[in-house]
Amino acid sequence: MSTNPKLEQLRRLLAEVEDLRNASTVLFWDMRVKMPPSGSQARAEATATVARLTHEKFVSKEIGDLLDGLDENDYDYDSVEASLLRVTKRDYQKAVRVPPELTGEMRKASAIAVSAWGPAKEKSDFAALLPHLEKNLELRRRYVECFDPADETYDVLLDDYEPLMKTAEVRAIFDDLKRELGPLIKEIADAGEVDSSFLTGDFDRDAQREFSLQVVRRLGFTDDEWRLDTTEHPFMCSPGEHDVRITTNFRPHDIHSIFASMHEFGHGVYEWGVAPELQRTPLGTGVSLAVHESQSRTWENLVGRSRPFWRYWYPQLQEAFPHFASVDEGAFYRAINKVHPSLIRIDADEVTYNMHIILRFELEQELIDGRVDLKDLPQEWNARMDEYLGIGVPDDAHGVLQDVHWAGGSIGYFPTYALGNVISVQVWERMKEDVGDVDEQLERGEVGEIREWLRTHLYVLGRKYTPQETIERVTGSRIDPGPYVRYLREKLAPQPA
Amino acid sequence: LSLATASPPPLDRLKARLAEIDDLHRLEQLLDWDQHVFMPRAGAPVRAEAHGTVTRLAHELLVSDAVGDLLADCAPLERELGHDSVDGALIRVARRDWERARRVPAELIGELNRTSGVAVAAWERAKAESDFLFFAPQLERQLELKREYAACFPEAATPYDALLEDYEEGMTTTRVADVFRELRATLVPLVADLAGRRVDQAALQGPFPIEQQRTACARILEAFGGADSWRLDETVHPFASAPGLGDVRLTTKFRTSDLTALFSTMHEFGHGIYEAGVDPQLARTLLGTGTSAAVHESQSRSWENLVGRSDGFWRWFYPSLQSLFPTALGDIDCEAFVGAVNAVRPGLIRVDADEVTYGLHIIMRFELEQAMLAGDIAVDDLPEAWNARIRADLGVEVPDDAHGVLQDIHWGIGLIGYFPTYQLGNVTSVQIWRRAAEELGDLDTQFARGDFEPLREWLREHVYRFGRMYPPQELLEHVTGSVLDPAPYLDYLRTKFSP
Repeated sequence: MSTNPKLEQLRRLLAEVEDLRNASTVLFWDMRVKMPPSGSQARAEATATVARLTHEKFVSKEIGDLLDGLDENDYDYDSVEASLLRVTKRDYQKAVRVPPELTGEMRKASAIAVSAWGPAKEKSDFAALLPHLEKNLELRRRYVECFDPADETYDVLLDDYEPLMKTAEVRAIFDDLKRELGPLIKEIADAGEVDSSFLTGDFDRDAQREFSLQVVRRLGFTDDEWRLDTTEHPFMCSPGEHDVRITTNFRPHDIHSIFASMHEFGHGVYEWGVAPELQRTPLGTGVSLAVHESQSRTWENLVGRSRPFWRYWYPQLQEAFPHFASVDEGAFYRAINKVHPSLIRIDADEVTYNMHIILRFELEQELIDGRVDLKDLPQEWNARMDEYLGIGVPDDAHGVLQDVHWAGGSIGYFPTYALGNVISVQVWERMKEDVGDVDEQLERGEVGEIREWLRTHLYVLGRKYTPQETIERVTGSRIDPGPYVRYLREKLAPQPA
Repeated sequence: LSLATASPPPLDRLKARLAEIDDLHRLEQLLDWDQHVFMPRAGAPVRAEAHGTVTRLAHELLVSDAVGDLLADCAPLERELGHDSVDGALIRVARRDWERARRVPAELIGELNRTSGVAVAAWERAKAESDFLFFAPQLERQLELKREYAACFPEAATPYDALLEDYEEGMTTTRVADVFRELRATLVPLVADLAGRRVDQAALQGPFPIEQQRTACARILEAFGGADSWRLDETVHPFASAPGLGDVRLTTKFRTSDLTALFSTMHEFGHGIYEAGVDPQLARTLLGTGTSAAVHESQSRSWENLVGRSDGFWRWFYPSLQSLFPTALGDIDCEAFVGAVNAVRPGLIRVDADEVTYGLHIIMRFELEQAMLAGDIAVDDLPEAWNARIRADLGVEVPDDAHGVLQDIHWGIGLIGYFPTYQLGNVTSVQIWRRAAEELGDLDTQFARGDFEPLREWLREHVYRFGRMYPPQELLEHVTGSVLDPAPYLDYLRTKFSP
């Protein structure tokens, strides 16, 4: 199809840009997973250099001229060519706004701050991280200034993670969630506490790792294409086609690693499923963070916390961990789905999780607008934890320092998590219309058909369409919190006696 | 002579560019390390693309006219600064690298690296299945590309000289051939003389559980010193990597059947400590690494052999090793163990070879490489030629290609012209060692106390810290008062191994 030499040249140049991004991903993965701490300064320099060179290569005049000389309307809207031109033009117009020095500086500051975050969290020492956060925030403000004024400052940051999404839209969705979930949390609390004491115990790390591998292998992880490593903060990255890397945190006193592994598997399988024809182009990755998160939450929650899933897996869990020998499957299922306000976002249940996000979403806007001062962040955080979830924060390690995101310079990222929850149920319900006996399949430990539906309907698309278009194509509707709220009520609201 | 304290602007601009280039070189090392240690196998083709692009970009940054202009602007300063200044050396090395890199089209560099990624993956599989034919097309491709590469340097006496110059600045094929001829004249009769001797290998029968081997390696590295933040991982072929200042990584391969991992760890430590010992002020310049492959190898061989196979070292470490392996070593005394780890036994595998036969493995590769490059031998005939030569020189039969022509990763990577530097490293190691011993006194006694600091620090002071400031032969002359000279090495071998 694409015999236009200009388009071929554009593809060649964009492939090189993707190669450099893949190389940066290796730098990042290595820094988080394998690098000795003494290497962090040099790594920060190298990371900044590669980011700068990648940026320079992308915003080059040659690519600009090629984009100017090519018209997406010459191609069928649904063709890879048209998508490539639409998406790349938008990326290009954004990227030329940002000076390469600033990009490099942001990467470098982020790399240094992420290295400082680990020890700061360990010692619960917010002051140690504060200068790094100040640097990050200052750089983000400079970043925002590169763009035309938006309706809200936060719009500019949000757009990097959720292209074309507006802060006001998110606020409206979150207002719905707040209105619906507040009462639900209260109803559940009033119904009395679910026993989950048996989820705490001594769980051998090697056995946890074995079990996680057993589960993700059944979901689609293969040793030829995937890795599973250990980090403080679980993440997924893919430094190239057929190379998907997930990490998890094997904690000795609970089995959270199983859910973290399934979560990261969900991110990974999305990247894994992007159409080969989109690889080494800007289209060869997930369309947005919210859609990405919809898939991690799908595999973690809609699959991994479902009753039929555990009907298959629970006997094997009991075998791996005799600790559960005397716990029946129903009690286990209720315990892993217990709704209970708690301190740590990544440990939160499906309902209260959203409140953690809304808190961060609000604080981020206030920080970037200057309504909250960074040094007051711990107090603000703690006050809101009390207001939204009614709990006191004992120290910053269990509060404002718990997540790596702000150290990494990511502001505007958090809301995508809750948006992902919302989208996950929209996609899942649509999938169920086609697949039919989803529960029966899960009870048999089978996910092949589910994965294949998600791959062919969603994953293959990569960034071909905008996030909104993607969601509409897959689900037939715009982003809508209705199905998610109904799902939570059906699954988790106390049953009338 | 008083110099302005502030660097003149052209030099600053040159340094900024070289820093970026060095960052990309370090990134390449990381991509390599990752590929060998952790990358899922199916990622190889796309990794090869990424690696190719990074290499090409580093090349483009170096060969640009802008760097040429900066070098021209820096020329007067280089003369003024003189030979022993860091900035003077930086300009000299940058000019040399720039001039060499300008000769090679960026596309060829990219192609070499892409091929390398694919060929290494093919080599890994070919070796695992002992299937040379699976690797042969990749080797053929590497040779074609290397011929093209060598043709970019028509002033070189032979194509092989052009390749050798990349690893060993200032060295010539003729000089290597002369040195190797002299070595061979001693080694072949020495191997023959030793052939009749019974070698007691009871000490190395094992088994040696891997966890305890890890502990042993950790203890040795701790005693050698300077390595507390390093990584030690496992790969098919051990190597050392320095993907950034303060970040040195070794790999080794553990087998329960022998203690090779201990020696390979000491070997890679030698490479690592050289990189770690380079003056930090040379970081992010082109000077912040070892000066040549042979000098690098002289250090790995120093720590592996001159330290790690010495009496003194084992007087210190053997009790510890014995307590780690009570079953295998409980009844073996130190003297028997040292005898066993220094046994001369013609064998199949280069990396397992003893100090005497090792050289013959290298000399064979040096000659085969020249023949392949010149087209005097076809790739398909390589296994046969290899096996015949092993039979002739070492009297051993090669059972399969995994234990023959496929044993080393080098040709997969595209390292042709690299092998001779191993043996030049052996020669160099003893030259430097002699000099160290003259200044430090009885090294064996120090090792017997577990004290390696005087040697490590002497080497840092006299060799490591200079990085690439001096070309290899100049550094050697600086340290030992002499250029490459096989006499001390032959003397060492005769003293240690003659019956």
